[in-house]
Amino acid sequence: MASTSASPSEISHPVVFTTQTPYPLPSQKFMIPTSWRRYQLSQLVNRALSLPSPIPFDFLVHGEILRGTLTEWCAEKGIGEEEMLEIEYFESVMPPQKMSDLPHEDWVSSVSCALPGHFLTASYDGHLRVFNYSQKLLYTSAVHMAPITSICVIPSSSSASSPTLLASASHDLTARLSTLSCPSDSPDSSVQVQVIASLHLHTASISSVSANSVGSHLLTSSWDDLIGLWDTSVPTTDEVPPEDVDRKKRRKVDEQASRPKRKAPLSVLKSHTARVSRAIFGTSEEAYSCGFDSTIRSWDVENGVCTNTITASAKPFLDLALTQSRTVLAASTDRTVSQYDLRASTASATTPSTATLRHSATPSCIVVPSTSNSSVDTSSEHQLLTGAYDGIVRLWDLRSVKSAVTSFKAWEGTEKTGKKVLSIDWARGIVGVGGEGGVEVWRLGQGGRAIPS
Amino acid sequence: MAATELKKKAQKRKISEEETEVPSAFPLDVGLDMRSEDEADEQEADDDDDGQTDEFPVLDPGSDSEEDDEVGENAEESEATDEDEVESDDEDEEDESEISTDDDELHIFPKPKTIVSDITGQPKRVYPEIEPDYDSDSSTEDTPNRVGNIPMHWYDDLPHVGYDIDGKKVLRPARGDELDKFLETVEDPTSWTTAFDKKAQMNKPLTAEELDLIRRLQENEVPDADYDPYEPTIEWFTGKGKEEVMPLSAAPEPKRRWVPSKWEKQKVMKIVRAIRQGRIVPNKPKTTASQLQFYSVWNEEPSAHPAPLPAPKPRLPTNAESYNPPEEYLPTEEERKQWEETDKEDRERDFLPQKYKALRLVPAYDQFIQERFSRQLDLYLAPRVQRVKLQIDPSSLIPKLPSPSSLKPFPIYKALQVLHNGYRVRSTSVSPDGAWVVTGDESGAVRLWEVMVGKEVKRWKFPTKIGAVEWCPRTDVSFFVVGLEEHLHFLIPPNLSTAILAATQALLSPATLPPQPTTPSLVKWVSQTAAASSVDSPILTLNLPPSSGVTKQITWHRKGDYLSSVSGSESQGAVWIHQLSRRHSQAPFRKVKGSIQLVLFHPTKPHFFVATQRYVRLYNLAEQKLLKTLIPGIRWISSMDVHPSGDHLIVGGYDRKLCWFDLELSEKPYKILRYHTRALRSLHFHPTYPLFASCSDDGSVQIFHARVYNDLMTNPLIVPLKILRGHQVKDGLGVLQVKWCPRQPWLISAGADGEVAVWCSANTELPSRSEASNMM
Repeated sequence: MASTSASPSEISHPVVFTTQTPYPLPSQKFMIPTSWRRYQLSQLVNRALSLPSPIPFDFLVHGEILRGTLTEWCAEKGIGEEEMLEIEYFESVMPPQKMSDLPHEDWVSSVSCALPGHFLTASYDGHLRVFNYSQKLLYTSAVHMAPITSICVIPSSSSASSPTLLASASHDLTARLSTLSCPSDSPDSSVQVQVIASLHLHTASISSVSANSVGSHLLTSSWDDLIGLWDTSVPTTDEVPPEDVDRKKRRKVDEQASRPKRKAPLSVLKSHTARVSRAIFGTSEEAYSCGFDSTIRSWDVENGVCTNTITASAKPFLDLALTQSRTVLAASTDRTVSQYDLRASTASATTPSTATLRHSATPSCIVVPSTSNSSVDTSSEHQLLTGAYDGIVRLWDLRSVKSAVTSFKAWEGTEKTGKKVLSIDWARGIVGVGGEGGVEVWRLGQGGRAIPS
Repeated sequence: MAATELKKKAQKRKISEEETEVPSAFPLDVGLDMRSEDEADEQEADDDDDGQTDEFPVLDPGSDSEEDDEVGENAEESEATDEDEVESDDEDEEDESEISTDDDELHIFPKPKTIVSDITGQPKRVYPEIEPDYDSDSSTEDTPNRVGNIPMHWYDDLPHVGYDIDGKKVLRPARGDELDKFLETVEDPTSWTTAFDKKAQMNKPLTAEELDLIRRLQENEVPDADYDPYEPTIEWFTGKGKEEVMPLSAAPEPKRRWVPSKWEKQKVMKIVRAIRQGRIVPNKPKTTASQLQFYSVWNEEPSAHPAPLPAPKPRLPTNAESYNPPEEYLPTEEERKQWEETDKEDRERDFLPQKYKALRLVPAYDQFIQERFSRQLDLYLAPRVQRVKLQIDPSSLIPKLPSPSSLKPFPIYKALQVLHNGYRVRSTSVSPDGAWVVTGDESGAVRLWEVMVGKEVKRWKFPTKIGAVEWCPRTDVSFFVVGLEEHLHFLIPPNLSTAILAATQALLSPATLPPQPTTPSLVKWVSQTAAASSVDSPILTLNLPPSSGVTKQITWHRKGDYLSSVSGSESQGAVWIHQLSRRHSQAPFRKVKGSIQLVLFHPTKPHFFVATQRYVRLYNLAEQKLLKTLIPGIRWISSMDVHPSGDHLIVGGYDRKLCWFDLELSEKPYKILRYHTRALRSLHFHPTYPLFASCSDDGSVQIFHARVYNDLMTNPLIVPLKILRGHQVKDGLGVLQVKWCPRQPWLISAGADGEVAVWCSANTELPSRSEASNMM
């Protein structure tokens, strides 16, 4: 049926289509003109299936996204005309759409979409803000006296009605645990954030805080080269004595019961030689961290030892993300996001990266779609979002690392240089972009309404 | 017969003595030989040649007359008086004897004998044996050995000593041993007259003639025994009957033979008159000039000039010059093209081999006129245009520098920038841990921001413009100094850990002040108490003497206890050295030549660099003396930095020059770099990486790789790496200050356009071809 549409003078190529989407084509051989591009192929699939509304598809040839014509692809790979090509197709990523804008007075250092229906933002003025999807500011309070650098929603296995635990890291050398109580049945104004504990270990600014998937432990990374491992239980008494006498006196005077408890770390992971910029959990026993010493370290959390070190040359890392395929993505100040295989041996002095995503500005944050909804679309396991200092958020597909799949610019048209993106979060097709210009919410991902291809 | 023979011989000898030159040394030998010869001849003649006698009967009386000779001689004896007859007889006799001898000696070619062969029965002619001794050159030799005059040791190893005339071997004679020789000398009385004969390889007795010859030689006599030196003279023309009596001419004697010559007299009188008049001076003393000048031809000094060179020999023509050379000599197309492209002077040969089938097809020499002309020019010694050949490969003149990509990391791109509302940012400083940057602009705002995010965390506001900011290099305390007009403010950044904060507060406002120095300084130290202090206001303020001007520069000693400040206007500079632990300030220089622009502490030694407008002086603060004066050759020094090793100094000037000094080497710059198009504003060495940066009013920042070797013999390697553009030039001012991040290859540049940029390193790898095609 496809071969009829092609003019006889054109060279055709035998092709078999496969897919994991709910739009399968009959498994038969198609003769596809080699001058066809993605658009023609997508039209072919749409027509063949006679879909009610057209769905754009992307095509994978031998695991690579087709960007040009089939001729070019075959010439590049050196594949003969008679050879059978197996082309897998999946639904295209919709062009990102800006949904809303959450203005902030100061720069937003961290944004979280982990809480359904809400956005949590942390700003350089030390305030934690909670927005709902209708851009309404539900709650704001100064959790820290200094700029907050990172927040993280600690997943809890308990029922949804119980208050959610939040962790925030700040320049004031502490990280804090807070409870966020937002009863779903009550009106939005009842959202309350209560600081319940402060984590005392670091002697320099804390750069990041993250929790493991079950919400039992926390990792903090700091500029003083240390990584702290904490549990999320709130102690009843101070585990760390207060530092100076003056405050003790003052505290005795007003003696608040709700004063946050001072919490000590379970253990300290000490191996980095420069500022640690990010520490994340892998599985419950494993943690990964990256730092300005151009290393990515794997940690055995139980024993607190560094099990593996990936050393790059002159790549101070800014952010780290773990993909589902046991690789790690790290953004560095040399304008690249590099993918490293964690199973690579540490024999060589510098570990070569398996893939390098080039940016035109410093990439500051990486986010991969959370594992919860990845079971739905398998194609998203290759996707990641990066935010850069030029204000552009790029969507990448690891199967085609030469250029971004799509990108959008936050806070468009404000300035020539663009405002820096400092944080992104991506969940359920919604991207929260935080940075110099506040927070913007974009819709990105499959499952949106179809756009004519 | 024998008697006649003897007589004949005697006659013959007489003749030979008179007429033929017989070698006199061996007359007896000749005689002996002749005798044997004669005997043979005559025997033969007697035996065989009867016919001859029959044939020549007329001649027989000649032979008979020999017999008559006795009679004749006898008659001669008797008739001695009749000379004429005797003479005539003698003549006759002589004639006859000559005939007879002729008769004998005519048989030069031996007569053959005709004998009847035993074999054939036919008569055959048989010649006698050749006697080569006779008439041959070596006829005087009786040696049978005919090897000639050769070294006889050739036969040393052989049983024979040579060959005789018949080609037969002459065997070596037996030679006795030394005892035999001795016995011979004893027993044989004549053995002393023997001599060793080389040819015969044996002792031969010397003949009497030889002994006589030896004797004569010994006694200095005439060697020839037959020569008589005292022969009586023979009077051929004198003597009786031989005088000439008849005149040869009958002409009368002329008159002039006896009359004195009149002409002679006139001549003589002329001379006499001249002598009398003094015209001719007889016996005139010979002057030196008139003497002949003789000189020795060979006494001249040899010439110092080299001998004239012989003209070079023209090269012989080879196959290539042939009109019909072999194929391999013919030039290929490329060779022909190359030959035509090269200049005439550079050509290896001045012709191209060409092939003609025949000599008649060879055209006329086309270079004839040119060659003649150039030969003429050669003869005139005419100067030609001398083409200066530059055989220098231009690429070899470029110093071999490593490629910048091999010297990574160094800053390449602008990661972020922090805006200062358009105010000029004069000064910036990075905290020793590399996390924070503090900048001071001309509006009086001091901002503290993160290096990697660029977010301003804290801002302080001061009434006047900020001249300098500088972090304390100590890591146990954390504060920075802001230099304003007549004030130095010490500020503590926020969010410090309690230990560091307490240490900083204790350092800057100690509970117990150190004792005041005996001589109070002009600089007042005013500090707030630790309790009352806040991050918003300075904890310590140094009040410089009034009207000292804006603080232009603050520099710290490496240990963080001393800091030095330079304040003042453009032309006047006041240097203060402040000591934190003693809370004391002092002016190190009482009187300064020139206006001080900059000062620097040496990183390792107690040395102090002071840059005036044109010179950099190095003082030893401990010994308080001037160590060195560096002459950069810059009109107006704007910036200076010392390498972390302390052995190298870079100095920049407003006249665009950057001088690198090796302090161990010289007072003159090791290298002068002029890369900027406008005045240099600031220089900074990276504390750990081998990098330095310079910034200029042209709005660019330049990054250099500067590797300093511990080896004193190796010169520092300076490689220009990168020009960073991105700052705007505003009011003629570009980038005002550059500072490195201590731990990373990142650069902070503060510009006059109110922008402070952070430049980061990156690997700018180009995407590969396959990736590029995929991007479509």
